[in-house]
Amino acid sequence: MKYKFIWLFITVLFSATAIGQITIKGTVKDKSAIPIPGVNVLVKGTTTSTATDYDGNYSIIVPNKEAQLEFSFIGFTTQLVKVDGKTVVDVVIQEASQALDEIIVVGYASVKKSDVTSSIASVKGKDLQTMTVGNVTESLQGKVAGVQVTGAGGPGAQPRVLIRGISTVNLNTDPLYVIDGIPMGTSINFLSSNEIESMEVLKDASASAIYGSRASNGVILITTKKGKIGKAKFNFDLNSGIQIMNNPYNMADAENYATIMNKAYTNAGYSAYLPNPEQYRGKTTDWWRAGIKQSASIANGSLGVSGGSEKHTYAISLNYFDSESFYEIGGWKRITMRIANDFKFSDKFSAGITLNPRYETWGAPTNWADFDKIDPITPIYKPADQLNGTENEYSIYARSPSYVWNPVAAVKRYDDYTNLYNLNTNAYLQYTPIKGLVIRTQGSIEVGDKVQSKFNPDFIIDAAHEKAEINSVERIATTNVDWTWQTTATYSKTFAEKHNASLMIGNTMEEYNGSDVSGYGEGVPNNSDSMREVNAATKNRSSKGNSWSSSIMSYISRFSYNYDGKYYVTGTFRRDGSSKFMANNKWANFPSASVSWRISNEGFMESTKSVLNDLRFRAGWGKVGNQNLPDAVYQSNIKQGYYTFDGNVVDTSYPSSMANKDIKWETVEDISFGLDFGLWKNKFSGSLEYYQKKTKDMLFLKQFPTYSGFPNYATIWTNVGSMGSNGIDILLSYKDKKGDFSYGADVTFTTVNIKMLALSTEGEKLYGSGNRTLTTKGEEPGFFYGYVADGLFQNQTELNAHTDQNGNKLQPYAQAGDIRFKDLNGDGKIDDKDRTKLGSPWPDYNVGLNLSFAYKQFDLIANFYSSIGNDIVNQNISDLYNGTSLTNKVSGLEQMAWHGEGTSNYVPRLSKDDNNENFSKFSSFYVEDGSYVRMKNLQVGYSFYNKFGFDKLRLSVSGQNLWTWTNYTGIDPEVGGGDPDKGDRVKGSGFGGWNYPILPTVLIGLNVAF
Amino acid sequence: MKKNVFLFFLALFAVLITGCQNDESDFPASDNPTILLSTKEIYGAPNRKFEIKAALADDLGLKSVRIQIPELFLDKTITFGTDPLIKSYDLSYFFEIPANRGTSEAFKIKLTVTDVSRNAVDENINLRLDGEFSAPAISMITPKEGAVILLSSSNEMPVNFVVNDDSGIDFIHVKCEALDIDEMIQLQGSPQSYTFNKTYTLPVTAANYVLTITARDKFVIPNTGTLNINVVATNEYPAIYLCDQPKGTNLTTDAVGVPMYFHEKNGQDFEFKYYADKDNKEIYFLGQESDFAPHCFGLNETGNLVDDVVSTPIILPTKGYYIIKVNPNTLVYSATKYTPSSKVWADIANGLWHDVEAQRRPFVSVCGAGIQGADWDTWTAWAQTGLHLANNPDNPYQLIGEYVLTGTMEATFTGQWWSPSWRLIKNGIATMSPGENGNAKYPAAPGTYKVILDTELERAFITTKK
Repeated sequence: MKYKFIWLFITVLFSATAIGQITIKGTVKDKSAIPIPGVNVLVKGTTTSTATDYDGNYSIIVPNKEAQLEFSFIGFTTQLVKVDGKTVVDVVIQEASQALDEIIVVGYASVKKSDVTSSIASVKGKDLQTMTVGNVTESLQGKVAGVQVTGAGGPGAQPRVLIRGISTVNLNTDPLYVIDGIPMGTSINFLSSNEIESMEVLKDASASAIYGSRASNGVILITTKKGKIGKAKFNFDLNSGIQIMNNPYNMADAENYATIMNKAYTNAGYSAYLPNPEQYRGKTTDWWRAGIKQSASIANGSLGVSGGSEKHTYAISLNYFDSESFYEIGGWKRITMRIANDFKFSDKFSAGITLNPRYETWGAPTNWADFDKIDPITPIYKPADQLNGTENEYSIYARSPSYVWNPVAAVKRYDDYTNLYNLNTNAYLQYTPIKGLVIRTQGSIEVGDKVQSKFNPDFIIDAAHEKAEINSVERIATTNVDWTWQTTATYSKTFAEKHNASLMIGNTMEEYNGSDVSGYGEGVPNNSDSMREVNAATKNRSSKGNSWSSSIMSYISRFSYNYDGKYYVTGTFRRDGSSKFMANNKWANFPSASVSWRISNEGFMESTKSVLNDLRFRAGWGKVGNQNLPDAVYQSNIKQGYYTFDGNVVDTSYPSSMANKDIKWETVEDISFGLDFGLWKNKFSGSLEYYQKKTKDMLFLKQFPTYSGFPNYATIWTNVGSMGSNGIDILLSYKDKKGDFSYGADVTFTTVNIKMLALSTEGEKLYGSGNRTLTTKGEEPGFFYGYVADGLFQNQTELNAHTDQNGNKLQPYAQAGDIRFKDLNGDGKIDDKDRTKLGSPWPDYNVGLNLSFAYKQFDLIANFYSSIGNDIVNQNISDLYNGTSLTNKVSGLEQMAWHGEGTSNYVPRLSKDDNNENFSKFSSFYVEDGSYVRMKNLQVGYSFYNKFGFDKLRLSVSGQNLWTWTNYTGIDPEVGGGDPDKGDRVKGSGFGGWNYPILPTVLIGLNVAF
Repeated sequence: MKKNVFLFFLALFAVLITGCQNDESDFPASDNPTILLSTKEIYGAPNRKFEIKAALADDLGLKSVRIQIPELFLDKTITFGTDPLIKSYDLSYFFEIPANRGTSEAFKIKLTVTDVSRNAVDENINLRLDGEFSAPAISMITPKEGAVILLSSSNEMPVNFVVNDDSGIDFIHVKCEALDIDEMIQLQGSPQSYTFNKTYTLPVTAANYVLTITARDKFVIPNTGTLNINVVATNEYPAIYLCDQPKGTNLTTDAVGVPMYFHEKNGQDFEFKYYADKDNKEIYFLGQESDFAPHCFGLNETGNLVDDVVSTPIILPTKGYYIIKVNPNTLVYSATKYTPSSKVWADIANGLWHDVEAQRRPFVSVCGAGIQGADWDTWTAWAQTGLHLANNPDNPYQLIGEYVLTGTMEATFTGQWWSPSWRLIKNGIATMSPGENGNAKYPAAPGTYKVILDTELERAFITTKK
């Protein structure tokens, strides 16, 4: 309700009443005489504007006969027409030369796209807004060559974004996000897609070196929407729909579960676990339906107004995003506001300020796997005869013999929510003392407060296995205050008409401060909502607090020159000083250089102009860094721990990490070559790029040798090792229009090859993800490493043949139906030495296909994304096919699993004992082809122009992630990195399990502009 | 022109097809490989491995050898590397005959050797399942393993044993270097049984001896059996055992505690604590652990303690705990009944695992090895309710249960997180924690056993369930 008032207020505030003098009418067409709807018509020097209707007609009141009309439309050259006393002004507008004159942001500057010499991809905000996603990078998937996005399900989850693969093994792999010139870290969860005007991806070091020590994973520059001269224009966007959560597995019912478990028991020589399975017929507990919603709502809304005069422009937007979890509780809500004001005081002075208050709240259970894993015989609640009336509300649930905690009860107990309040203020002042010289200073302050509140109620479902004897309450408050200040001076000049040069120098300072404080207590008198405060705790109260800080100061410069629009040279240099490093390595230099030759502008290419509109060759080199390691690794640290001495538990301290005063950044050096082209009036355009990267001085957290006397878990960060990669990015784009029908297709192709070039010692083996991955010299990092499963033993003859040369059995406990492991080294033993590379989590290539069609007022877009050639470890096999545990299994497992010669060569026989280690040995049995093609988005829209009192009204229906083609049998083939806390961010990539899937989503959309 | 085009494509396809042929044999022609069998007839037996031995050779290089017995589901191919080429190979391949085959069955083993030039040679070997592979059985009558010879009463060592073998005994060899015994008895014919009986005189000084008895049979592949007997010749008994089993009972079939090791020793004064589980309980004292002979202390006709294998048992008149003292030299003993005062571990059947110590209720289960269901995690001990001991309704100081042993066992009887716990060390001693370190390993035949943990005696008794 309150939003309606805000809307009305804004409407009243910015509405303007036109006092009519002359009414001008006319039609806007393209050069093929096809009317163009939606063209903006502005009376120059005023805020009066309108838009053409579907037939290209417009009507506008001008103040006098000398007025000028400005016609602008995306993809066309803006045209200024004098009225000259006419009352009918028909206009033919020219298509822009396929966006070559587009302005794109390159880091501390904006340049024409045609002048770019390095590898930068640009995506318009409207292309990102076609999808309704919490994190806008998910919408980036498939739209930029060289960028691999792995989606993450769940409200508030952050997708993994890799720009040209990875260049680090142990540090963060996310790119640096820079919003309106301000570095904002490695996540943009806080940003609504509706706030974005454009996004530029700096892919190579020659583009990103201007961001120095944080640019090794690439940089994404985001420009938010700003006001445009003209009358106040309102825009209202709402997309609302449902996310569909179907059970990914068809789990056994009670009778089938009993049959499966009986088979597992009897196959292992035990008596049946649940005799007479038919007695359980019709007595299945449908856990899934009891705790998981079939659909969860999602909504993304935005209300914006923008406009202004030549002296002042403004853009205000209020954005709302709400994604429910598929549990009965929890989700993610985000409300943001962006208020941008730009002022032009004179030809020399201009300024601007943007305020961005944000609020987020999130929290949801994570135990959905338990709804599938718990046995289907156990009821949800304890039978009445097991209740004595004294239980609290969390103790009335039944305990499962499968050792899976009652998931319905766990959801009921869940109380862990986080609220985030942030305000970002970003302001600049710009001075142009002489023509060509621009001095700009920009500052930003970000203040944030995050409060996490947790409460764990006491309960006793089973006194031995499932209980919390005492409740506990905790509140953690984290505050951050970050500031940035950057000043640049840019001088641009054209000499002798053909020599165009520009020099920028500047200085930046950034400081990041954070602190947290938390309180914990137990024994709250009861579990009621009003008592869930730390003050109510009666036992074991404790508090903790910490603070941290880091800062960077930098000097930056860029020089660019071109001759006659044919030969381009750009050089950048950044010198970074970081608080994370000591005096020896506090400062580091990050240079880059790039050249470009626009061959199509050469005289000798004149004859090809009719076909070849643009042809450009680029080459770049640069050095960038990665300093995403903890803030104070140059300090030694002591931790507290308990040890037992003489039978007494003693509170002790021990050295946990050692200082390395010589620590420095990881350095990535790359070279990149690119070819851009445009054919047939740029209907067909594209770029091909090849690059090579090398990371040096890689940061590893190493343990001390035993003889050093330090505990074996004492660690030190140190610079060792290097890795290299190369790859090809291809973008091909085709757009055309035939009468009322227009269409376009973009294809992106990305391939990355990564290899470790050196580790700390020759022959070193770095294991990851529980020794299931290996990183060694000459191989890609984190490849799957284990035994080779060579099908199942089908009969006694095959068992007898699986021996060494002397007849000793290689798998003495194997029976027919068990997995046959390969003795790769032929030493007559199945041991560690038989482990080998089983697959790779890294795709051979990724392909994106983005189609767009429009016919009259209909429009349709379809986005596809694919990952080809990667493998995934399907960890759920161990839960779903394994008879050793009492958890539920997939329906019909007794038939799927081997039960006689020829019945299966994949799922081993059911058995209560896993003597052959079918499941406990990590083997190729778990590794599946992870390739997939996914229809990310399919959207159909219909637009009305100048109808119902609106400039534009568009209705749309869309489906996201509706279809996925894959051979992967797990939950979702979009599987990202491993647990960073275990050092498995890279080394643990590609492990699929019970991860929250990317959900199919159906939405309806409404867009109104007036 | 058309003809030229046709010829061109013909030639092109011919080149392509030639290029695509998978011609593995890049080796020149050579002679056939050879197989030299160590025997044309192999004896085997159900549930037993036999060995196929042959010398394989080839003038150029061996590629593979295939061993087939279709009736026994054996089809094994051993492939040899070709870099370098293997010109000779001593095949030694073992295969176990399934237990369900009959001893009268016979099969053909087919060996196929192929060389790198694709020459193949077959050989057949006869396999008979009526082989005899049991070593002659040596049944020791005296001395038994661990026997104690008290030099003060006699320095003679009678050696008496019986050897049996189905296929006939070839020879028997008795040897003890320390005693200079080296008896070689070569038997004539093929007797299936032979009894050895001879008495040797020992030096009067205390010493330990190892008597080695070897016997070989007369099967076509002879089987040899060897038995080592450790004998202690002493002027004092190192230990005395209390035995409550009737004479003639096999004292080696139980796992722990039978007969019972003494509690205290002072010189030759031995003291036992013992629980008589019924009135008129009959007991003996033994000078050795595994047999009633040679030193069995019981009563003579006049009711005095004597060292005599024909003595009658000492009778404890009523059920209950006794302190029993005995001196095997002076032949004096006493048995005094007493009332225990140690802690009673009552109501352990209602034990409760709990993180909060105050709410924990003790249970007693077991951690260990060789016990079905047990490992060294006390949570497992709790979770495996079949391992939980129960209170003996007849004796509050005894916790009882039944375990399935799978082989040599070790055990610590325990509650949650080793509190309380009784570690089972050597000689059946199970002192409550903190006791001595080092769990003892007890050999045990797989099967079901009765378990008694006597918390008063601090002893465990793990006996075969009858």
